[in-house]
Amino acid sequence: MDHAPIATPPAARSRPIWQRPVSRRTVLATGAAGATAAALAALWKGNDLSQVLDRVRDYTHGYQGALRTPRVRAAHLLRRAGFGATSAELDRYAAMASATMAESVLNYQQTSNAALEAQLPALDLTSEKGPAAGAVQAWWLQRMVQTTRPLEEKMTLFWHGLLTSGLDKAGPAQLYAQNQLFRKMALANFDELLKAVSKDPAMMVYLDTETNRKGKPNENYARELMELFTTGIGHYTEDDVRESARAFTGWTLTGGKQLRFTTDSAFNRRFFDNGPKTFMGKTGNFTGDDIVEMLVPLRATAERLSTRLFAFFAYPNPEPEIVRHLADTFQQSRYNVGAVVREIFAMDAFYAPKAYRALIKSPAELAAQTLRATGSDARAYGTAVSASAAMGQALFYPPNVAGWPAGSSWINSSTLLTRLNFVNAATQRMRPSSSTATLEQLTNTLVDGSMSPTTKDGLQAFAAAHPQNQAGLLFMVLATPEFQLN
Amino acid sequence: MFSRRDFIKQGLIPVFAGSAVPSVFANGLAAAAADAPNAAPSDRVLVLVQLAGGNDGLNTVIPFGDGAYHDARPTLRQDQGVLALNGQLGLHPNLKGMKASWDAGQLAIVQGVGYPSPNLSHFASMSIWETANVKSGIGDGWLGRYLNYLDKVGESPNHALEGVSAGSLVPPELRSSTPVTALQSLKTFRLQPVNEHGTQVDVENPLMKFYGAFKGATPAPFGALLDATLNEALQASHALQATDATYQAKATYPANSPIASSLKLVAETIVSGLGVRVAHVTLGGFDNHAREKPVHDRLLLDLDEALSAFMQDLQGHGLGDRVLVMTWSEFGRRVKENGSAGTDHGTAAPMFLLGAPVKGGLYGEQPSLSALDNGNLKFTTDFRSVYASVLQGYLKAPASELLGGSYEVLPLLKA
Repeated sequence: MDHAPIATPPAARSRPIWQRPVSRRTVLATGAAGATAAALAALWKGNDLSQVLDRVRDYTHGYQGALRTPRVRAAHLLRRAGFGATSAELDRYAAMASATMAESVLNYQQTSNAALEAQLPALDLTSEKGPAAGAVQAWWLQRMVQTTRPLEEKMTLFWHGLLTSGLDKAGPAQLYAQNQLFRKMALANFDELLKAVSKDPAMMVYLDTETNRKGKPNENYARELMELFTTGIGHYTEDDVRESARAFTGWTLTGGKQLRFTTDSAFNRRFFDNGPKTFMGKTGNFTGDDIVEMLVPLRATAERLSTRLFAFFAYPNPEPEIVRHLADTFQQSRYNVGAVVREIFAMDAFYAPKAYRALIKSPAELAAQTLRATGSDARAYGTAVSASAAMGQALFYPPNVAGWPAGSSWINSSTLLTRLNFVNAATQRMRPSSSTATLEQLTNTLVDGSMSPTTKDGLQAFAAAHPQNQAGLLFMVLATPEFQLN
Repeated sequence: MFSRRDFIKQGLIPVFAGSAVPSVFANGLAAAAADAPNAAPSDRVLVLVQLAGGNDGLNTVIPFGDGAYHDARPTLRQDQGVLALNGQLGLHPNLKGMKASWDAGQLAIVQGVGYPSPNLSHFASMSIWETANVKSGIGDGWLGRYLNYLDKVGESPNHALEGVSAGSLVPPELRSSTPVTALQSLKTFRLQPVNEHGTQVDVENPLMKFYGAFKGATPAPFGALLDATLNEALQASHALQATDATYQAKATYPANSPIASSLKLVAETIVSGLGVRVAHVTLGGFDNHAREKPVHDRLLLDLDEALSAFMQDLQGHGLGDRVLVMTWSEFGRRVKENGSAGTDHGTAAPMFLLGAPVKGGLYGEQPSLSALDNGNLKFTTDFRSVYASVLQGYLKAPASELLGGSYEVLPLLKA
């Protein structure tokens, strides 16, 4: 431990935290010191010696150094920026430099998704009521599994969790349209996205802007726009809520269908409150777009969105220095989300030991990555949608307007059993011929070949004891604690 | 006396030979059947019903005798069929089961419940109610702290079913270092077997080793969480498998009602004698900014029917004396309805306490509908006073220690 500070050269110390690589020696030294203490503590508990030795071995293996390998870096990036990778994809990405790898993920517009589009079942977008909820859910999960543009789908999931709307109020065709909007504007400028979302029929129903009329303001959207979508609590007053609600009047749903089924909105001057509003100290005849244009440049918005993006892709609770840098990027790029995401993938912090397996796979991620490993037929997506719901994430049914709390809330006794039962069922459904991979190939693709020695031994023992049970072996790999994390 | 954490640490759980179940689970039904009306505090169950989204208190316990109510609610007011409690106040017409409980002296209503400097954000206010921390809303859940206390004094039943919530998420008010269980169904709460040529392969023991080893190997906080959760899950599932065949509902629960299914699941865990102390169910959909009336009417009907069945079921099993139901919501709604035939976020609202342990009646003071704060009611009873009353008067726990302050204990409960 004493030599750890010296191991960091003076030049590196002046570099910002997100560009500071951690040497393998430091990692191992820290790990070994902790391991010794833990092993001694275990001895005191009176466990027998072989158990203690197993513990020491588990504590000291090179787990944290895994991200130094190109193939593991590729796997890490593709788990975070997408929904995992096949062995062939890992080979392809591992041959690239890190920067090239990230650019390849970011510039997805250049990759055709025609094969996916051709495979997707047609959704009924013409009838009065539109598609069934289950059809839209399965459609999206299939996209996550089969897309050739993983970041596009991942950002769509990000926006669904932040600028959220739900089927408990809005209709399936509306959620489908909102989902396509998120996909189209996945890396757009944030002010433009928010202006579009303010007029999006699903959002207008979910947060009641469709009822917000001159003389009858409805505060729901205005409040959540500030509390959840931009500045966060503490940066506005109750008067700001009341006044900005007036600015968002005038937008209505059109098309003569029932509210839940209409997918068109339009501005109607008659319903707009044309009077002066006082918002955050300024007075004018503001529209909703004006409110968005006042909220997005605020530093609180930049920091909040940056924190949220970094926590989604790298690890929770980023250091203030990282948030500051990303918020600067956001503001200097005219609020461009793509610029912030590009910056995150370029940070050494993204590949730091601290980032490795620092996130719990969300149910949608677990479902999609599992189906990528087992193969999937048309029925598998609907099944996976139900399982994802039981694991705590029903797509298009966020628990409330704040989206899913994520992090440790994904794991409780019920959801963990559901995760294990889902991967069990998925492996049981495999055709016997569909997976012939060896244990080593499976673990290299699915858990970076990086497991505790106990798990490695246990999997080998399972493979030896059950040589014909490929489904059981894949289940054991997918059921490891390593696979539950991202 | 082992604490639950010792129990896990010492590796006593991983032995699950056949249907052998720790003896702590075995005495449930017998104990339940023998229960006298004055159940010992350790047998008492608190069931929280969260009305998520901000329930419109003024259209739940209706001040029909106050002209200001009718003025503020031109389209939303309930003026027909209100179930009068006295000359001023009445229950919403759909709360017929609640009214029956009131008539039987088993419904206490605390009026005007809130807290100082009310926060009109759903999430900030929920956190305040969940943690009983009105400054920051940060910390363990108030009932999580109660479960920690049980662990500390050696009254914990040593497994994760003492705190249960119906659904896929553990609610924040149950969170602490003491594990609790989210339940979706007793039938699916188990690890499905891996079979090979019709024979079951042992995967539980290898998986427990994997998770135990990973906990040591990872610096990330989730290693310990995954390991503890797997142990809790397997232990609780084995306990459940040994008992779930015995429950037969003694009431007809409404069909197609998630809140009824949730309460039935809670009844099943209580009746099965699994040692549940605190249970949580959620009914969502109360954030009625627009077209409130039909939605709110239906929600209250759903709530009332589900709770009526639940109480009847427990009484049928002779457990009515051991179960207290309490409702809460993060806030009430604005006194004056908005232009969308709905109501925006408000402040104080009534709470219901339901069941045989309750001393029925009205408590606290109905807030004025004219002396408002920014259009919102001024609270008259602090919610922590209600919590203190339940902790002290029912659960016999040290309320001021668990709430971090002393609050008036209301005489809501029988001794």
